[in-house]
Amino acid sequence: MTWHFIAEGTLIGLAVGAIYALIALGFALLYKSTKILNLAHGELVLFGGYLAIALSTALPGPPVLAFVLAVVATLAAAALLGFAVERAVMRPLFGQPLLSVIIVTLALGYVVRGVMVGLWGGDTRLFPPVVPTGVFRLPLPGLEALAVPQVGVWAALVAAVLLVAFSLFFRYSLWGIAMRAAANEQLTASALGVSLKRVFAVAWAFAAAAASVGGILLGLWLGVNFALGFVGLKALAAVILGGLDSIPGAILGGFIIGVTENLLGAYIDARVQLFGVPLHGFKEITPFLIILLVLLVRPYGLFGTEHVERL
Amino acid sequence: MAVRPAGTFKTTYAADMALLDTRFDQVGFALLLLALLLAPWWLGRYLFLLNAIGIFAIGAVGLSLLTGFGGQISLGHAAFMAVGAYTSWLLTQHGVPFLLALPLAGLTAFAFGAVVGLPSLRIKGLYLAIATLAFQFVLDYVIVHAWGAGGGNVVVGPSLFGYAIRTERQFYYLLLPLWLGAGVFAANLVRGRVGLALMAIRDRDYAAQVLGVPLLYYKALAFALAAFYAGVAGSLFAHYNRVITNEHFTIGQSIDYIAMVVLGGLGSVWGPHLGAALVISLTQVLKILTPALVDLLPAFGRVATPLREVVFGALLIGLLIWEPGGLAMLCRKLKRYLDLWPFPY
Repeated sequence: MTWHFIAEGTLIGLAVGAIYALIALGFALLYKSTKILNLAHGELVLFGGYLAIALSTALPGPPVLAFVLAVVATLAAAALLGFAVERAVMRPLFGQPLLSVIIVTLALGYVVRGVMVGLWGGDTRLFPPVVPTGVFRLPLPGLEALAVPQVGVWAALVAAVLLVAFSLFFRYSLWGIAMRAAANEQLTASALGVSLKRVFAVAWAFAAAAASVGGILLGLWLGVNFALGFVGLKALAAVILGGLDSIPGAILGGFIIGVTENLLGAYIDARVQLFGVPLHGFKEITPFLIILLVLLVRPYGLFGTEHVERL
Repeated sequence: MAVRPAGTFKTTYAADMALLDTRFDQVGFALLLLALLLAPWWLGRYLFLLNAIGIFAIGAVGLSLLTGFGGQISLGHAAFMAVGAYTSWLLTQHGVPFLLALPLAGLTAFAFGAVVGLPSLRIKGLYLAIATLAFQFVLDYVIVHAWGAGGGNVVVGPSLFGYAIRTERQFYYLLLPLWLGAGVFAANLVRGRVGLALMAIRDRDYAAQVLGVPLLYYKALAFALAAFYAGVAGSLFAHYNRVITNEHFTIGQSIDYIAMVVLGGLGSVWGPHLGAALVISLTQVLKILTPALVDLLPAFGRVATPLREVVFGALLIGLLIWEPGGLAMLCRKLKRYLDLWPFPY
């Protein structure tokens, strides 16, 4: 493992991590305000990527304009999907046991993925060239330059800006405060005039939109295919690592997962052999190994609240 | 909660604990048994359906013990099935007879289950579900790297004392006693000490501990038992299908198992069997219907491929909103309705 490998892996990992953090943020917010573990989150990522790519190729006009329009339309559609899911599926299940709700989100993922893959197929497709392709070289005095894909740099920047914007929204806007209040103490918030129904609906719309942005950013970088749905599981790892009900934890978790996956995972992937078998694809399961490790050592994550049970 | 029509009076403890306690149940079960025994004659070439249902019902019974009665969520049930299938494959490859490989596959899965179940003392609910999900992916990875993805590993057909089992019908008569045994064993387990302990843990684990139920032992046991059932199902599946690949035991299969248990009805002895029947038949019907639909509407072709996922997901959502108790609860409600018909009460 050379110095160059570490630095480059960390940079790429941070860029991917920013996208994971954005997806994980929606996940954590949804859990925090509705106590629903949304196992369809990956499919929401898929939804965003698929819809955006379909719209940006279908819309007329110069590619950049079409792309911007497609992104706006996708976000609107994602928010609508979030509202619809909350109203049609989740509200009737309010108060049902944990397992039923988890399974409904799994089933929801089935439906979304089935429809998306049915409409546009499972093969990898690329966005029209709207962001500069090629490699961004970070020159270092006296050392080999670090190469990071330019798309990655852009995606990371967008994700970082959105992360800041979202935290400002939660900190200062009335809606953000209402949502934090509801997440903190549902009954009290409800008594003080926060409409829980609206908060839940907004949380779903928000989670779907954040996931869609993640899908678009990842799609710009790696292309869009059915495997985009599995990114949701990486976001899950990030959220578990940070603590299910902690938003800063989810963001930090996203970065940690991104870096570990691209540093440790890629290293073992390429260089390590076990019993003479090269461990290809190790990168893909690194997040799950992290989950197992974290759960065994610190089940409530880095910043999650430790649940004290009383009889 | 059993709702009994008026007029069934129990005078002994044995009668109170009986699995089939009314005349209706006894006659109904006898008829069901007869229908199952004669299935090759009335099902004809669709017997493969019943074989598949039987195999997956055995696996689902295990998950129902763990999830329905024990309250522990597992998103990695197919991984245990893989453990059973690959153990059985390895053993029979080295000349171990099928009759020995089957229980050994179950026991290997049992051991895996006990180990995976250990963290359940510390991790609960959602976190446990995620841990089992991680186990599923890690095991899938191990299998791919140990025995390769795709292509598949050829498994020998089952044979009993030198008598080779080749046809669907022969396999069916091998499967049926195992299926019945699995169902009856679970039903017995559930009404005995283990079942009561599991239900106490499901309802409130700390309260159960205070009342003297050793949590670690029963949680690990629940996982191990579920894994044992899955391992046996995996072994049967391997010898029935004759080819196994990692594709057979993915997260999708785990979700199918959960669908079976939930659609069938959680916390019901009959649930997993009903659920397996529903899920397997639905899969087959959609498999048969899809090409027909494509013939009818060629433009529909590409959309039809993931039709199963969509229908499946929609069905799960619909049923859970409409009747969270699953098919078993629907049956019970139907029976109650018919008992009183045509009067409302």
